[in-house]
Amino acid sequence: MVNSTHPEAPLGLTLSHIHHSYDMPSGSRLVLENVSLDVEPGEFVALIGPSGCGKSTLLRLVAGLEAPDAGTLLADDTPITEPDPSRIIMFQDPTLYPWRTVRGNISLGLDIRKEKDPEAIDAAIRLVGLQEFAAAWPHQLSGGMAQRVALARALINNPRLLLLDEPLGKLDSLTRLAMQAELYRLWKSQGFTALMVTHDIEEALLLATRVIVFSPRPARILANIPLEWPSPPHREDPRLQELRAEILRHLEAVMASG
Amino acid sequence: MSDAQTSLGHPRALGTAAQTTKSRFSPTQLWRWTAGPAWLLAALVTWKWPDADDFPATNEFAALLLAVGLVLIAVAATGRLKDRAPWTVVLGLGFGAWELIQAKLLLLPRPFFGTPQDLLDVFLTDWKRLGDSLFHSLLLLTGGYLPGSILGIIIGLALGRSHHVRYWVRPVMRVIGPLPPVALLPLAFVVIPSTRWAGEALMALAAGFPVAVLTWSGVSAVDPAYYDVARTMGAKNRFLVLRVALPAATPQIFVGLFMGLGASFAMLVVAEMLGVKSGLGFYMQWAQGWAAYPNMYAALFVMSLMCTTLMTVLFKVRDHLLKWQKDGLKW
Ligand SMILES: Nc1ncnc2c1ncn2[C@@H]1O[C@H](COP(=O)(O)OP(=O)(O)OP(=O)(O)O)[C@@H](O)[C@H]1O
Ligand SMILES: [Mg+2]
Repeated sequence: MVNSTHPEAPLGLTLSHIHHSYDMPSGSRLVLENVSLDVEPGEFVALIGPSGCGKSTLLRLVAGLEAPDAGTLLADDTPITEPDPSRIIMFQDPTLYPWRTVRGNISLGLDIRKEKDPEAIDAAIRLVGLQEFAAAWPHQLSGGMAQRVALARALINNPRLLLLDEPLGKLDSLTRLAMQAELYRLWKSQGFTALMVTHDIEEALLLATRVIVFSPRPARILANIPLEWPSPPHREDPRLQELRAEILRHLEAVMASG
Repeated sequence: MSDAQTSLGHPRALGTAAQTTKSRFSPTQLWRWTAGPAWLLAALVTWKWPDADDFPATNEFAALLLAVGLVLIAVAATGRLKDRAPWTVVLGLGFGAWELIQAKLLLLPRPFFGTPQDLLDVFLTDWKRLGDSLFHSLLLLTGGYLPGSILGIIIGLALGRSHHVRYWVRPVMRVIGPLPPVALLPLAFVVIPSTRWAGEALMALAAGFPVAVLTWSGVSAVDPAYYDVARTMGAKNRFLVLRVALPAATPQIFVGLFMGLGASFAMLVVAEMLGVKSGLGFYMQWAQGWAAYPNMYAALFVMSLMCTTLMTVLFKVRDHLLKWQKDGLKW
């Protein structure tokens, strides 16, 4: 479909034997334990796991914001050593800059790279439905609107790998459904690789091509479930309920033993 | 406004007559229409009541009061003069009272307490020298405050972002910073050949220290996630310092700029009184030497006008740059 040497082509990921821990006053705290994962270019991988297990940490490592204690991370066979605009992360908190308007926040990536593209900014604002709020300050937005701004701010960079940390977490269920459809459409049309953390099993099953289930901290991969739908699944699809039950079984088993 | 709405809300209970009476003699209306007459009254007292002694510029002062009174009546007729009306009334009556107590009845000891016309006379006869002093004070102030503030912001940013700078600069700041810059004045006058430069250097120090400390504290408080967001999009150190740390720290930087401006005012006056041979401080020192108390008051008045104007300008700049903030103190 897309030539793999093309600069906009989706990135593949190879994570092997990643260990990571944080220094705490009480000693070191192991967060990721021997995580290995291959992601094909153009895949949509959902990451599911108990709160505090290390999902956000994994995304930070892939983004290049931190280096792992041990193990290697490759993006298309190139080691990840620092952040790069081809790998954009959308954080769990919107972290908008309060001194920039909605429009200014969305254009951040362009400003950093000294690019001018007013049409792309307009398109991104329209995409998240915030035309009326383009000139608003972040403190005037609701939590869900702020999250939509963060999504637009990420998308304007045309990432080859999009790292999403609970991107729809703060939205009401209706907006959430609309944004899920929008995310799916974007991924289909723009062909980036996506890695999405979510707490919503149904969302993971509907959007992703693969679901990874993590154990409680330190995060290990409990299950790696490829989803091969001949056609996009329906919400009431019985196979969906089956998979849902399977994922919950994995989580319950490890919770009970731990 | 709210009165009118209440009465409109209960037309039957209050009746039409009550409603119109109310809108004609509401407190705001009363204040507005009293402002002009208050000044006219003061003018009348000044003009008609004989002076207790031979004071200069009595008629000029009466004319000034009269002019202000007429202008106020004109302004009241156009419907403006709302919030400030009570203050204007009190000021007019205050000038009248001052005139009465000192110029007409001479109740307070002279020459420490002057009359309004004494003060006016200074402005009428010595305005050239006063203006010149103001100009030189402003020149000295800008020569010290501006470079000091800019340097303070640069040092504060460096302190907030670099371990090396922190290691070397922090001990120096801890030793020199808390020292009142005034204490260095005698030394500076000896070491620096020009008293002007010495004054400017110390004013820069007086402004630079609080600005540097508050910029540093602002930069240290920046949410690290702000840097992460920019870094993933390819931002390098220059962008992180100038376009992330600097705007994020701006509220704190302005606290430092205000403190620094106050410290610079103090330093300015002391420098002009003790060495620099120009400016308002020097004028005041001279006036005191000749027991020219009205001149001293006049210089004090000009100085306070200068300080409050500069503060207002700084507040305006802050309000403009920080319009993204939810709230802000009004000056
Ligand atoms: N900077 C840090 N310093 C110390 N500990 C940290 C740091 N960041 C994360 N941790 C710890 O690492 C563990 C994993 O955190 P992480 O944010 O990756 O969890 P998560 O899986 O994203 O959880 P959630 O679903 O609640 O967002 C937590 O126990 C957390 O306390
Ligand atoms: Mg998280």
